[in-house]
Amino acid sequence: MPDQHIDLNDIQGNIVKAYGRFGYPKARYIFFQFHDVEAGRNFIRDLLPLITTGRPWCKDQPPSATTNIAFTYQGLKHLGLPTKTLHSFPEEFSMGMKARADILGDDGESSPTEWDPIWHHDKYIHMFMSINAKSLEALEERYKKIQDLLKKSSGLVTQLRGHRDGQRDDLPYQEASAIFVDGKPTPTEHFGYQDGISDPYFKGSGGNPLNVVGGGKPTRGDPATLQGWEPLETGEFILGYPDETKELPIAPVPTLLSFNGTFMVYRKLHEKVKTFHDYINNVGKDFPGGPEAVAAKMAGRWRNGAPLVLFPTREEANAFAQEYEKARELAATSAKGKKRYEELRLKRTGFNFGNDLAGSRCPMGAHIRRANPRGCLEFGIKDAFATPGALDNRRRILRRGLPYGEVTNPLSDDGEHGVIFMAIGTSIERQFEFVQQQWINYGNDFKLSNQKDPLLGNHDGKDMFMIEGGSPDNPPFFCPEIPRFVTTRGGEYFFVPGLTAIRMIADNLIDPT
Amino acid sequence: MANLISEPTPLTVLSPIKNGDDGSQTFASLTRKYLQSLDIHEKSPMAKVPNTFLCRFFVLNDVFFEGSPGKVDHLKSKYLVFCCNFHGDLNTYLREFWQNAQQEAQKIWRHCVAFEQVHDAESFIDYIKKCELNTTIYFNGSTGLPLDEQLKALYLKQEFSQFACEKQGLSAEALFEAFQKFVERTRPADLTGPTWKPGQNTL
Amino acid sequence: MSNIAGKSYAMTVITPIPKIWAWVNLLKFWYSKNIRKKKSFGLQTLSLIHYARWIIIRPSQFPRLSSNQPKEDLHYAYMLFFSNFNGSWSQYVDSFHMAIPKGLDRIWKHNFKYPKSVPLQPFHRYILHNQIWTDHYYNAYPLASSNDVKAAIALRAALLEFIKQSENMSPEEFQKAYKAFLFYNQQHIAKMHSAPVINLADQAKVERVRLIESYEKTLRDEHGKPNF
Repeated sequence: MPDQHIDLNDIQGNIVKAYGRFGYPKARYIFFQFHDVEAGRNFIRDLLPLITTGRPWCKDQPPSATTNIAFTYQGLKHLGLPTKTLHSFPEEFSMGMKARADILGDDGESSPTEWDPIWHHDKYIHMFMSINAKSLEALEERYKKIQDLLKKSSGLVTQLRGHRDGQRDDLPYQEASAIFVDGKPTPTEHFGYQDGISDPYFKGSGGNPLNVVGGGKPTRGDPATLQGWEPLETGEFILGYPDETKELPIAPVPTLLSFNGTFMVYRKLHEKVKTFHDYINNVGKDFPGGPEAVAAKMAGRWRNGAPLVLFPTREEANAFAQEYEKARELAATSAKGKKRYEELRLKRTGFNFGNDLAGSRCPMGAHIRRANPRGCLEFGIKDAFATPGALDNRRRILRRGLPYGEVTNPLSDDGEHGVIFMAIGTSIERQFEFVQQQWINYGNDFKLSNQKDPLLGNHDGKDMFMIEGGSPDNPPFFCPEIPRFVTTRGGEYFFVPGLTAIRMIADNLIDPT
Repeated sequence: MANLISEPTPLTVLSPIKNGDDGSQTFASLTRKYLQSLDIHEKSPMAKVPNTFLCRFFVLNDVFFEGSPGKVDHLKSKYLVFCCNFHGDLNTYLREFWQNAQQEAQKIWRHCVAFEQVHDAESFIDYIKKCELNTTIYFNGSTGLPLDEQLKALYLKQEFSQFACEKQGLSAEALFEAFQKFVERTRPADLTGPTWKPGQNTL
Repeated sequence: MSNIAGKSYAMTVITPIPKIWAWVNLLKFWYSKNIRKKKSFGLQTLSLIHYARWIIIRPSQFPRLSSNQPKEDLHYAYMLFFSNFNGSWSQYVDSFHMAIPKGLDRIWKHNFKYPKSVPLQPFHRYILHNQIWTDHYYNAYPLASSNDVKAAIALRAALLEFIKQSENMSPEEFQKAYKAFLFYNQQHIAKMHSAPVINLADQAKVERVRLIESYEKTLRDEHGKPNF
């Protein structure tokens, strides 16, 4: 049961639910521009009944499609929000993602000049909309409804074009989808890794309480059990609630505008599939365990999702994955099956790096260790900090999104395929931007000097990735001249208002005086 | 064996700036202007002063009012503040400061009270000591080893990290030879070179 | 003029402290000035700091070098805080607040109107309100963080020892010893580059350089010859 102090009916559903996990493998991301304040407000008012909230679906029949919206700073301005309100938004939000390129490391191939055409113009994008659906039919049906509403504005609200899909570069939306294998959706992305295994768990989110294991903040208890974790404070992810610093997070005014809202980072990340496979195959020739082990060491998990810390060898990881898949299929059939499945799920997330301080199982610089240190920044010094997660708890982000495109030719880096990555939290600067700049594109907090995240770092081909050794006969292994595997193809910062706030924006009731 | 826990020497100096002006700007303003015009990194005058780890200069205008029920305080003079961490004893450090950056020292402290009495290294040392404050409590996260040792170590870390990666997988003979060449080139025991320069900001 | 020199940030804060508490603190810290000796595991583990110091200065201690210079006449004594640390301002302040709030409070406890380090926003405001900007900041190793310096010192010491011990080894013996050397020193091996762009002033500098470079490119043809 969700905590009663949070009104999930007022919070947009994409904040508290990763729709992909709930059986929504299809998505479409649409961007709009307002040419007239009234028309913009009318459009939003018409959309209100379609907006999916965070209301738990245990009671109701889940919809076949969901809809959620968010606004850029320019979008809020073009909806006529008062200047005082606009000035109360954080600086990074008002600047927009493109202007923060140097802070984010979006240089070279990731530079905004390389982004899809839709992102090229300044002050252009006003509103984001996501449609997630159980099937393509359900998606098209919802999309058509949106188009009908759009027509009512007589061109005063327009849908922006300029997304690439490999053939055209002027598409009117960004399509995304889980990768299907044998007709079934899988949770993998184009490099072959299972994605979205762990997600932050916070008070009042209404999710499965077992998700606190690995998803919450670490206590000093056993990480394999519920005692090893506590839910994070709501205010790290939703405005208007206490956060980890024991106060209400700074929020735009008036309160009703920001209450139950949050911020979202949207990024289109292209995956260079050929470069990735060539690299792990090449390096894998010299590395014990071969390419699969190299891929595992870079991520911190085997591509089948088994964490290195608990499953250091490929055999153990494969055995676990098989058991896990079997249990997942049996989960629906009996209570015993469900219990077994949940036990195994905990093994995918119920760990920390306390028994692997030297990084001989999961390298210090591996992706998952950087993205969520799970208390390892205490470096094993017991009770050094007030809590083990003191340096990580405020850097967590809710991840949403799906892969996009297909790999039609794995022997090429061209083609349009990658991941639509969305990060949600109450402070873009403190959460997403910090992790991106200090933990992905830099290494000092991990005592790795300037070494970057092997998978996501903005590599220039000159640096290395070190895989720590386990003994004097098993010295560290250096992955040389690591190339850039992931490049940015577009993105922006958005504000995701609560339902009350959307209605008040539509009715021009936002007044900070 | 390196002494990894040697402490740097702290120095905090408050030099009163003369009240008044030169006809168009106050002495405090002129001091600040000069400080802000100094080149940075390896071109900073402090890069010439041996064994300087980290140091800062600023003009202390006044203290801050915390608001009611606090009382309002005002300083009757402005102060040039010099805060520094270095290796070695104070007299040697200040003497070398004067010997290597005398012109800049004279320009920095030019408008300070009684600085006209400073005309050589010894009187400079005297002056600074009169302005010195005692540290109450401190924390050192980094070492206090001589600067040339630290810079050499940083140079070596950079070179060896590259070497370790490049020479991976070589046969025993090739590795042995490569390592000898590495030692010849980088001369790990030689503090005079090759090494990083003080204040070096590019590779 | 900047508070930043490469990977280091210079923070200076001056805060009033009632005179009676200045005396109490001076006595308290007289016995052990060096926080490291007090087993400051939290501070050491944070490893963000190069050097930090606190100085309590009573009004009569402001240097007076001439009878013409007026004597200071202040209601409070003052605590000066100087820190050289790695990372951004907010990372530093937030780290302290989350990791070692009690330690911070112990030092600043009696400063007038010190709001305690928890919750964060009043603490942020207190530091910002009382911060003095640096006019000139020099860092002997802008490319190195405190972690980098410590790793480098340890690595050099180990390397010198290794060179001595491996002097008369055969290539096979050497290879084995070298592998062990790599293993025992792996935590010190990583390359350094410039600091990430933290602030918008740095970002503006990067943009200016980029603009100049692209302008200069237009002044030359594809063979690099001047275009005008």
